[in-house]
Amino acid sequence: MTIIKLKSNLLDIFPDDIHRSTLINKNEFYIQVDSRSIVKICTYLNGELGYALLTLFANDERTLTGKYAIYYGFADRKKSQLIIIKTEIAPTAMSFQSISAKVHAASGYEREIKDLFGLIPLGHPDAKRLVFHGNWPNGLFPLRKDYDLHHKPHFSKKETKFKKITGEGVFEIPVGPVHAGIIEPGHFRFSLAGEPILNLEAQLYYVHKGIEKMAESMSVEKCFYLSERISGDETFANSLAYCQAIEKIAGVAVPPRAEYMRVLFAELERLTSHLGDLAGICLDVAYGFAAFQFRMMRGWSYLIADDLCGMRFLRSVNKPGGLRMEFVEGKEKGLIDQLMKIKKELEETVVIIKQNTMFIDRVENTGILKSAIAFDLNAVGPGGRASGISHDVRKNFPYAAYDKLIFDTPNYVDGDVNSRIRVKLHECFISISLMLQVIETMPKGPIKESLPELLSHQVAFGMTEAPRGENIHWIMTGENDTIFRYKIRTPSFCNWPALCHAVSGNIIPDFPLINKSFNLSYAGNDL
Amino acid sequence: MFKVIKKILQYPRLTQDYPRKAPDARLFIGKPIIDQDHCILCGECVRRCPSGAIIMNEEAGRVGFNYDTCLFCTLCAEVCPEAAITMSSAFELAEKDRTKLRASTLVVEDRNIPDLSYEIISDLLREKTQKIFGRSLSIREVDAGSCNGCDYEINALNNPFNDIERLGIHFVASPRHADMLLVTGTATRNMELALVKTYNATPDPKLVVAVGACACSGGIFKNSYATRNGIDCILPVDVYIPGCPPRPQAIIYGILKVLDRI
Repeated sequence: MTIIKLKSNLLDIFPDDIHRSTLINKNEFYIQVDSRSIVKICTYLNGELGYALLTLFANDERTLTGKYAIYYGFADRKKSQLIIIKTEIAPTAMSFQSISAKVHAASGYEREIKDLFGLIPLGHPDAKRLVFHGNWPNGLFPLRKDYDLHHKPHFSKKETKFKKITGEGVFEIPVGPVHAGIIEPGHFRFSLAGEPILNLEAQLYYVHKGIEKMAESMSVEKCFYLSERISGDETFANSLAYCQAIEKIAGVAVPPRAEYMRVLFAELERLTSHLGDLAGICLDVAYGFAAFQFRMMRGWSYLIADDLCGMRFLRSVNKPGGLRMEFVEGKEKGLIDQLMKIKKELEETVVIIKQNTMFIDRVENTGILKSAIAFDLNAVGPGGRASGISHDVRKNFPYAAYDKLIFDTPNYVDGDVNSRIRVKLHECFISISLMLQVIETMPKGPIKESLPELLSHQVAFGMTEAPRGENIHWIMTGENDTIFRYKIRTPSFCNWPALCHAVSGNIIPDFPLINKSFNLSYAGNDL
Repeated sequence: MFKVIKKILQYPRLTQDYPRKAPDARLFIGKPIIDQDHCILCGECVRRCPSGAIIMNEEAGRVGFNYDTCLFCTLCAEVCPEAAITMSSAFELAEKDRTKLRASTLVVEDRNIPDLSYEIISDLLREKTQKIFGRSLSIREVDAGSCNGCDYEINALNNPFNDIERLGIHFVASPRHADMLLVTGTATRNMELALVKTYNATPDPKLVVAVGACACSGGIFKNSYATRNGIDCILPVDVYIPGCPPRPQAIIYGILKVLDRI
């Protein structure tokens, strides 16, 4: 549906509820609506038109309008359009209608708003704390503008309540936050009857650092370095989303060579990440040979990064307006050789692991994420693509030079660990092919554009396909080249609830395997 | 089966011989260094450093780096109008004393979590540690609020290139089996209790190593409502490994340094 058609449609159905609408940055359609009608409009967009909820966040705009604002970001993926419903909440009300009962994907976002802003989602099915644990005192909301970033409140002592499953022989296993492997912290509460898992509740936010609050009032330049450190292994995807949003606000077009080079680095990051995931999956089923094959290839892809820029995690490569410097010129030949070496090794390894029936037996039919649940929770990235959801930001909202390159999107429907392995393997080959295409077709020319001073209170979305999936950043600029609000929604935030569904019915020794097949970032979720 | 054997024969040994043989560091981005003769004290780098790691001492007329906070992002080298700052390829930066990494005086936050075992840790004990551990060491890794960059680099210690077990060092699943805690991250509010509990669960004598700018000083995340300025606000630290993230060889260097094997 085009924007004009959508607008007239909405005005026909909800004539009294829509205050005004504007189209900015080519495809971001903002509609301001009455706070009382938010549930029916969101239900219409999500339920009737099938637009997925991409993000939902609040913003303390009391200094601008005297009110809080809540933004509901929906996407028409087929038409590459974003439809953002905005509603204002007066500080006297301090509550808003929850849409979680109708739009299930909204649940986590609304709990986040409650913790960080103190706005109460009325009618939320389970509005308990999300970001803060028992040690955070009541009545303090860090994302309000009057909260001082450096204020560390006292530690209060409250118990965290987990969902209780009762019945004969049902027991609980608590795991974490410090795990047995070298991974990030998180607490998992399993309810089991015998070996099969009845319910899993994940308590995350152990690595909550307050990134969104830190970004506020930071200069645009400094905040870029913060965006690189949202999630270590998604450095480039996050910094690219940040740069995109800033470039949109500045109205700057990035030079073509930089657009191509950004594809190269983004795909290198994806390849490295997927090879690491595959190694982890193999290690978790004690398939040492394959694990070390993948680790070796991951090592080679780190070597490529080292050769190109001297940074294994591709930090300080991007820059708002382009790239920091020319990284590729003169290294094309070596780069092609290294990529072909990885490709050949990967092909040979795939043949070996696919013939291993014991391995396939372990991963097949394990940890099935049903397609309906995946749709409902807006599961993204390889986790979604293994369950029949074929969307990919590179295709649906093309950025950098992706619209000029040829690639397909893998789509599998079984939703088990095996499907996720196949998606990741498929994507490794796609990444290598994309990188080779880039090296071949990359035009010559400058690689960065300087930015003008940014206008204050401008907004824009930055969207990228991170290795783990769809990555959405939203920025509102402040005065004097600073950031007023930086909302980060990484793919991990969408996929954590999906993971909790995928494990139920499986036996507990399979949990590490299922967890690794999603390989979600705790840091990217907790911010 | 034959294909597996073929692969094993194809790649008999990938392990790099670090620390006996230095890696080719020409392309590495290491610590920034300043040429004081060319510096005009304009303060541009001090203002723009994302983590506030550059300090200007106007009386002494010098600009210095706090490497425990530095992100090695290269911005200072880029913005310096006199090109007085250059990025070196030095990556072996671990130090036992945090003040050695700093240009400005260290103001330590008070540790406020009571813990009896602080007193036990001393230089004397370290000698004993040496005797007990010999040349082998068991490590428990704790992520106390990193971005997961450091954790991936620690993971890489187990890959075929670094294979840290050849040095008699291995990672264990429980702090009860560990001699050393390898801590990453700023010590977030929600991880503080878990970190202290992990420390207390580790039998004495024990060592603590802070990995990465966040664990050393808070890095870019310091001073927020949910973070601490480095884990030495909570635990006694034996070695600081700067970097954002430090590369695997830099971590190996730090671990060996704490054992006085370098």
